[in-house]
Amino acid sequence: MTLSTSSGGPDAASARAAAVSITVRTRPRRWFRSQAARRLGFGYLLLAPAVLYVLLLVGVPFLFSIYLAMSDATVGDTNASFIGLENFRAAFESDVFYIALRNSVLFTVVAAIFKGLLGTTLAFLLLRPFWGRKVIRGLVVIPFTLPISISVLGWKWMYDSQFSVINWFLSQIGIIGRYGSADWPIWLGQPLLALSACIAVNVWRNFPFSAIVLLAGFTSVPTEILDAARVDGTSFVQRFRHVVVPMIAPILLIGLLFDTVFTLSDLGVVYLLTQGGPANATKTLPVLAYQVGIQAGALGRGAAIALFLFPLLLPLMILLLRNLKRREY
Amino acid sequence: MASPRTRRQKEVRRHLFLYGALTPYVVLAIFPIYWMAITALKQDPDLYRMDQFPLWFHLAPTGKNFTYLFSHTHYGAWIVNTLVIAIWVAVITLLTAGPAGYALARLRIPGSENLGISVFMTYLVPAIILFLPLSRVVALLGLQDSWWALVLVYPTITIPFCTWLLMGFFKTVPMEMEEAARVDGCGYLGALIRVVLPVSIPGILTAVIFAFTLSMQDFLYGLAFVAPGDQKPVTVGVPTELIRGDVYYWGSLMAAALMVGLPVAILYNFFLDRFIQGITGGVGK
Amino acid sequence: MSDSRPALTKDSVTRRGFLKVTGAGVGGASLLTMLAARQAPAQIKGTTLRILQWSHFIPAYDTWYDAFAEDWGKKNGVKVRVDHIPHLEIPARMAAEFAAGAGHDIIYNGSSILTRLYYKNLVDLTDVADTAAKKYGGWIPSAKSLVEVEGRWYGLPIFYILAPMLYRKDLFDQNNLKAPDTWELARVAARTMKAKGHPTGIALAQCNDANLMWRSAFFSFGGTEADPSGDHPTLDSKELREFLKFAKAIFDEGMTPEVFSWDDASDNRYLASGIACWIHDAISAYRTTEDTNPDVFKNVVLGLEPQGQPGKRVSVAAPNVWMVWKFSKNQQAAKEWLAYLVDNDLEGMVQSRGYNMPYLNDRYKKPMPVIGSDPKLQILQDFPKIVAFYGYPGPSTTPIQEIVNTFVFPDMITRFCRGQSLEDAIKWGVGEYRRIYGKYKQA
Repeated sequence: MTLSTSSGGPDAASARAAAVSITVRTRPRRWFRSQAARRLGFGYLLLAPAVLYVLLLVGVPFLFSIYLAMSDATVGDTNASFIGLENFRAAFESDVFYIALRNSVLFTVVAAIFKGLLGTTLAFLLLRPFWGRKVIRGLVVIPFTLPISISVLGWKWMYDSQFSVINWFLSQIGIIGRYGSADWPIWLGQPLLALSACIAVNVWRNFPFSAIVLLAGFTSVPTEILDAARVDGTSFVQRFRHVVVPMIAPILLIGLLFDTVFTLSDLGVVYLLTQGGPANATKTLPVLAYQVGIQAGALGRGAAIALFLFPLLLPLMILLLRNLKRREY
Repeated sequence: MASPRTRRQKEVRRHLFLYGALTPYVVLAIFPIYWMAITALKQDPDLYRMDQFPLWFHLAPTGKNFTYLFSHTHYGAWIVNTLVIAIWVAVITLLTAGPAGYALARLRIPGSENLGISVFMTYLVPAIILFLPLSRVVALLGLQDSWWALVLVYPTITIPFCTWLLMGFFKTVPMEMEEAARVDGCGYLGALIRVVLPVSIPGILTAVIFAFTLSMQDFLYGLAFVAPGDQKPVTVGVPTELIRGDVYYWGSLMAAALMVGLPVAILYNFFLDRFIQGITGGVGK
Repeated sequence: MSDSRPALTKDSVTRRGFLKVTGAGVGGASLLTMLAARQAPAQIKGTTLRILQWSHFIPAYDTWYDAFAEDWGKKNGVKVRVDHIPHLEIPARMAAEFAAGAGHDIIYNGSSILTRLYYKNLVDLTDVADTAAKKYGGWIPSAKSLVEVEGRWYGLPIFYILAPMLYRKDLFDQNNLKAPDTWELARVAARTMKAKGHPTGIALAQCNDANLMWRSAFFSFGGTEADPSGDHPTLDSKELREFLKFAKAIFDEGMTPEVFSWDDASDNRYLASGIACWIHDAISAYRTTEDTNPDVFKNVVLGLEPQGQPGKRVSVAAPNVWMVWKFSKNQQAAKEWLAYLVDNDLEGMVQSRGYNMPYLNDRYKKPMPVIGSDPKLQILQDFPKIVAFYGYPGPSTTPIQEIVNTFVFPDMITRFCRGQSLEDAIKWGVGEYRRIYGKYKQA
């Protein structure tokens, strides 16, 4: 019976538990009444609802989606035949797919960089108490609290090609010309601008969350360690790199992981802003999968596109999390 | 020791610096909200003009967009639906993810480490495919076109994350407390209820807030499973009934957004401290 | 199933015709509906009918439709419920209902007609269609291309939406410009007036308008998307090249880059804000301008689809089709309701302020409701002869739907307008067509 799966807890408790279990092992007939059995039984009982829920409502449909990805199913046809990896091969032949893949990756990476920058700097600013901190914290968190579909619509209005308040402002301070001139940016109409616009909405919505997570991380670093390091004469940067970062690494990585997964699989922002245009400049994999699989009805191909990132992300995720667990101390 | 006056001066300077540095963040975060508010309160002819200062009113502000929401759409029902759905989802999440998190954290189940990791895998499964088999389940249970369908489906989004969150939380509860309770004769269940739960309130609140947030992030499931206007949650009702073909009712759209967003933001603010405490404890240290 | 009702119909038509000619408005309309109400067979009494359809651009239409359906329901003992969602979201909802094997009884498709995808699971409505054809002089030629599979009709087209030219007569007159009766004239007008701050715009983004409007121009230039059987793409042609060169010219000379960011509503706003010298759009833009900018509105005039090649006008319209699921437990009531709806399609036209155009030949006897009486809108009565749908001259097949849903056609134009060479843009577009058609051949 291994004890290493539990973390935390002083050695004394483990020793006591070991003693108890050794005692029990000499009486096999009443194993099911033993501490271990009771514990495990209780444990499985507690786990059951969650596991069942997820297995039934996510696991089974997931297997179904794998089946779809390898069949020629359409939305209206229940008789689909197995065609192996044909859908994936077909996806590779279409250059819209590569564009979508590139956009998805670019989107996630660039957004993560900005969220990291804004989140970190904001967290630093909010770290030490000051008068009005609670109010400011409350205000800054608002983007994250608004439902996505609603806040994206607000931004769509802000990006309007005629009535954009952003453009009005920029033109007032002279950075761009007036409406109708060549340098009036059409946020959702020029490929690079459109992608930036979508990324900006994602960053706006999520940077408060990054800031809060980082703030939590920073505040969790025990002050004794920081003080000790300060006494040792380390500079701020050194302290940051060698003391703070390793301690908040777990939080950072988890936050990054969640954010990556949610951003890569997000349909709402791009769908509501540009539908993937102009000329596929903002088309991401989920949007393409939705258009091909659901709106055009080619379910098999849509599933293949949607699932494409899964085999790539899964090993990455496992690697990352295993690494994380080992770091825990 | 610096004299009190220079210390105060330093404090003032520090505050000024902070306010200055924080202004761009606050503006970035809040300006879209302000813009939504102004749009919601403007009359249409005032709105579609480019030749005047857009950040304030030129015709009298009107409550017409707000009243339109309540008289011409099911906005009131949407708000109620959203709230009720969120509460139910939070309850279901706590009842399933709570025990699961505890079991994984404390009861030394074999393979708990891997189960913890596999939690994340569920988020890789694309919703645009999931909603099809789920709609069959929804129909089988007779929940189609009722907001109960969403109460059934949203926990699939909230349970994995909250399980992981609560798992981390429960790990921070000192073992001695539990052991002591068990030695006192509580048994595993008793220890859980009487000792662990009261201490984990911040974690539980955090999980509740996340459940709320995640259940308000969805668009596709609501669209696919709920067609009747008065059953929709607000996240589906607003984009589907305030945009008609090629006409966007911007004034009402923004009014709708505002009325949902602000109460939620206030609620969040209230819980923010616990939330931060929650995340801190939530990631295994 | 044959129509077993007594021959009320002849009288109704006469009375309906009388009321129409006397210009009876809403009052006449309700009289009309009462007269046209038939007593449906007893077996549908006590049943429920659930209808899913779009949120119409004209909200008043939805209000009327819901009440109209409820009235019919009351008269026939059927409980009717109508749900509305945006037309863009209907494919997702259809997929969900099909996967669930349950949902609404009647489902609507607008622009994206998925009848061919789902036909095995839809009720055969040929009988309802034939009855309507007999009563009202037959369907317009393009109607059956939407819903016919192997000789049977699996959907009922009820109305389509036209997109005429909407132009500013005052601006044209001020600049001595001829009305845009050909695309070349339209281009000249745009070029002249862009210099004076009144450019035009046709969406070159991933939206419905982009799919519709540019195809009208393309088909008017003699181009085709597929052959009449619908089996082979015929995009690659001399006409395509001519059209693309024209499109780029009109974009460079008469439009601004903001068309790359437009959604379906943008051109409405463009006209209503007074900027556009002309737009090519459904009359929702006309109604929007009427409501928000009366000064501009009084100068807006409608024009027939411009000619591309001399004498050739093709106007691509957005079709609307109703279908009945096979899993519906109330197919009888559904068919009754659809038949009733077809009988009253002119009423729908009135309630939508002239937006909904019927598919039945007899309806086009002048003057038609709303558009017949409004002098500016009268030109719309001449459109049915030149109406076409996606896939022209072939039917709206499944590959065409995918091409429409992934915006291949407007994307091809966008690429060329953004600087890609003509042949490269064509190569991409034609390649996409071939690839998508190829996928469906394998199935």
